[in-house]
Amino acid sequence: MSDLQSVFQPNTQAELAQFVTDNAANTKRSLQPIGGGTARCEVNADNVCEVQLDLLNRVIDFPARDMTITVEAGIRIAELNRILTSENQRLPIDIPQAEQATLGGVIATNWSGSRRFGCGTMRDYVIGISAIDASGQRFSAGGRVVKNVAGYDLCKLLVGSRGTLAIISQVTLKLRPMAETSAVVALTFDSLSQVDAVLSRLLTSATRPMMLDVLGRVGALARPNEGMGKSVHPPVLIVGFEGASREIDWQIETLLAECRPFEPRATESFAGAAAEPLWNTLRDFSMDSKSSVTFKASLPPSRTCVLLHLAIEAGIAVQAHAGNGIVIGNLSERVSTADQAIAAIKPLGELIRSCGGHLTVLRAPNEWSALHVVADSWAGSLAWTQRLKRQLDPRNLLNPGVMAFGPA
Amino acid sequence: MNSASPPSAQLLISRLRDIVGDDGLLFNREELLVYECDGYTVEKKVPDVVVFPTSTEQVVAVVRLCNELNVPFIPRGAGTSLAGGTLPIGGGVMITLTRMKRILEVNVRDRYAIVEPGLVNVHLTNHLKETGYHYAPDPSSQGACTIGGNVATNSGGPHTLKYGVTVNHVLGVEVVMPDGSVVQFGGPCEDGPGFDLTGLFVGSEGTFGICTKVWVRLTRNPESYRTLLGVFETVTAATQAISAIIGAGIVPAALEMMDQGIIGALEAAFHFGFPLDAGAVLLIEVDGLEVAVEEEAVRIEAICLENGAREVRRARTQKERLLLWKCRKQAFGAIGRLSPSYCTQDGVVPRTKLPEILEFITDCGQRHDLKIVNVFHAGDGNIHPILLFDERNEDQVRRVLLASDEILTKCLDLGGSVTGEHGIGVEKISFMDKLFAPEDLAVMKSIREVFNPDNRCSPGKMLPTAGGCGTESHPHKSHPGRRAAM
Repeated sequence: MSDLQSVFQPNTQAELAQFVTDNAANTKRSLQPIGGGTARCEVNADNVCEVQLDLLNRVIDFPARDMTITVEAGIRIAELNRILTSENQRLPIDIPQAEQATLGGVIATNWSGSRRFGCGTMRDYVIGISAIDASGQRFSAGGRVVKNVAGYDLCKLLVGSRGTLAIISQVTLKLRPMAETSAVVALTFDSLSQVDAVLSRLLTSATRPMMLDVLGRVGALARPNEGMGKSVHPPVLIVGFEGASREIDWQIETLLAECRPFEPRATESFAGAAAEPLWNTLRDFSMDSKSSVTFKASLPPSRTCVLLHLAIEAGIAVQAHAGNGIVIGNLSERVSTADQAIAAIKPLGELIRSCGGHLTVLRAPNEWSALHVVADSWAGSLAWTQRLKRQLDPRNLLNPGVMAFGPA
Repeated sequence: MNSASPPSAQLLISRLRDIVGDDGLLFNREELLVYECDGYTVEKKVPDVVVFPTSTEQVVAVVRLCNELNVPFIPRGAGTSLAGGTLPIGGGVMITLTRMKRILEVNVRDRYAIVEPGLVNVHLTNHLKETGYHYAPDPSSQGACTIGGNVATNSGGPHTLKYGVTVNHVLGVEVVMPDGSVVQFGGPCEDGPGFDLTGLFVGSEGTFGICTKVWVRLTRNPESYRTLLGVFETVTAATQAISAIIGAGIVPAALEMMDQGIIGALEAAFHFGFPLDAGAVLLIEVDGLEVAVEEEAVRIEAICLENGAREVRRARTQKERLLLWKCRKQAFGAIGRLSPSYCTQDGVVPRTKLPEILEFITDCGQRHDLKIVNVFHAGDGNIHPILLFDERNEDQVRRVLLASDEILTKCLDLGGSVTGEHGIGVEKISFMDKLFAPEDLAVMKSIREVFNPDNRCSPGKMLPTAGGCGTESHPHKSHPGRRAAM
């Protein structure tokens, strides 16, 4: 924990670079880059200075006809979305708390949501990046064109690096056109094995879903219209579509026909504006304020339902991006200590490890630092990760302890 | 970096023979000539030895031996690089991976396949035919190029406009690191711990190690296609149509342009029925659900006509569609009809700057008295001017290099890049310090030092060496491959 907290809030990228340069030369405090503070992580150091980046929020260039935008990294996601929407364009990543979250934070944490099945993740959209390294040197990689293989792809290196390599200061994004409309179909089944069979069937579906989510414990989902018994929590498969209206209507109909042989207990479809609340609920699942701990597990998609089963048995509310093998879990509100949390997560560990998967704690009370060691099969890449960290931040000034690199 | 001196050359060969066997290496000068260059024929240099390992273990043993004897080494796939990516600067051992071409696993349920690096790109998609899935990156050379080579250069292709380039489809790699250790970055599970080293490795042009296994993402096949051929009087009208299509929020699967120069060669080669008097044609493909593609195709037709298209034709049958794509993808082969040698450039500009760059290219060809034809990924702003010449004519070679330099410099002036998909290789290394600031290059160099501290693996690629090409103003002199060859 920090004995001496301080905050620095640069107005310009030059100010930021100067500050980091001075810090490296003089005080050598640990620096914790902060965007909107929606995915804060605990820094393991005594003398931490928060670097608040939300004033670096300028639009540098938005050549809408080229479908790219260059912005400073502290721009709020809601503001970015507003700008893009004015040109009928978007960054198709589902980001909760968009009024607070910043683009730099989303990139640093590699945040993603349900649309990742159809639209990919941040690594697919960041085409240019500038960042300040631990010595205060500003560097750039990539560029402002949608296709570019000149130089090493440091955009990929910084996406998901959680502020441990450099402070992201400016970003160029590749954009997508807004979808004309969208729809969500929710299919309730009696068991997860049924859901698993349907997911297998949908591999060769005539439809092309944008989202393939599964929810365990329906009570966790605020549904637009109640219709389910409260005492049972049957799994719900949620399929999302985007495109032109005619295309959406056809896909809903086709999907329902494809799923009918699996005898869903209930089906509901929401199209256009009616689908929005559901997309939003799914987007915000990991932000459930009643739960003290949220984790993200990844494993081969075919093992998703097995993990969901174990999690639900352990009383964990789960959302799976089933097409990608990503499972978000909210521990029960009754979990009130780190030991309880570890006990709840532990049964999942064996399965995750056995299939080469990973588990990351996204959100937990700061004092539960023991939780950060749950997880991880590095498959031998840990040593190279550590070497890279040492090379770019030899004094370990940037977000020390955040990525659980182990002993350096 | 010194190549093996003659006495140690024999030792090197004998030790390599112990690893890969008699039929796993070449060292006679006439046999090595095949490996003196790749698709970039302007620079040439023969390696000292070529080895053909058949397993990761053999690659490890070769790399360890090279370290022991202080010999540079370089991986090579099919040698289709158009930027000299596989030119063995400084000689040494060329590790050709074409015998490691197995498909190790296809897992449709988890949407990935594991392949060896020497697998030819299109062989994977052919293998997947019955599954309803394919491997999306489709470089024009996909009938020959290998997936390992695609990983090294982060290759693109016509359909990357909608589906993305190689890095968007690679989940993990097994790498023999330059120190001879074997490591796996990424794998079948998404969002692994730590940094995205897979993403960093893809496109590193062999300078971070030798890829021996690749986990690739499989993509669902589109249900339907509409393939259109927009015929325009002028290149300018065609580029306006491109801008209008993208501006209308349509992302076609592919949007390719061919100008009059290339149309003539294609027609002579394939007899498709291209209009020889057209200034440019656009090959436009939309894919997706049958219920959606027709509507998109109609919108595109209307946009083309509004922007001055003389006519918009449609491929009426799958056979006609495939022929159109064959013409496009084998366009480079048809160039043999136009000249004995050619040099393809790979600049990128923001899509809206296409008219400007194409005008510049025409002007540049006239100034240097060179014929330049164009066939390229217009939707991405990725130009491929093809400069025709005869490599036996030294003055023409000089003018080709000058014109290339001017075109790529113009791409940078317009806010673009010098390579969209072919890589830096040796050809464009002198542009790195125009594209990047010294501090950008310093960070890149420090990252290479982590993986490849002795720079023994693929030396002279991607990053300019201090005091080297950056200090030479003349592109003709500054090419490292050219220096190596001298």
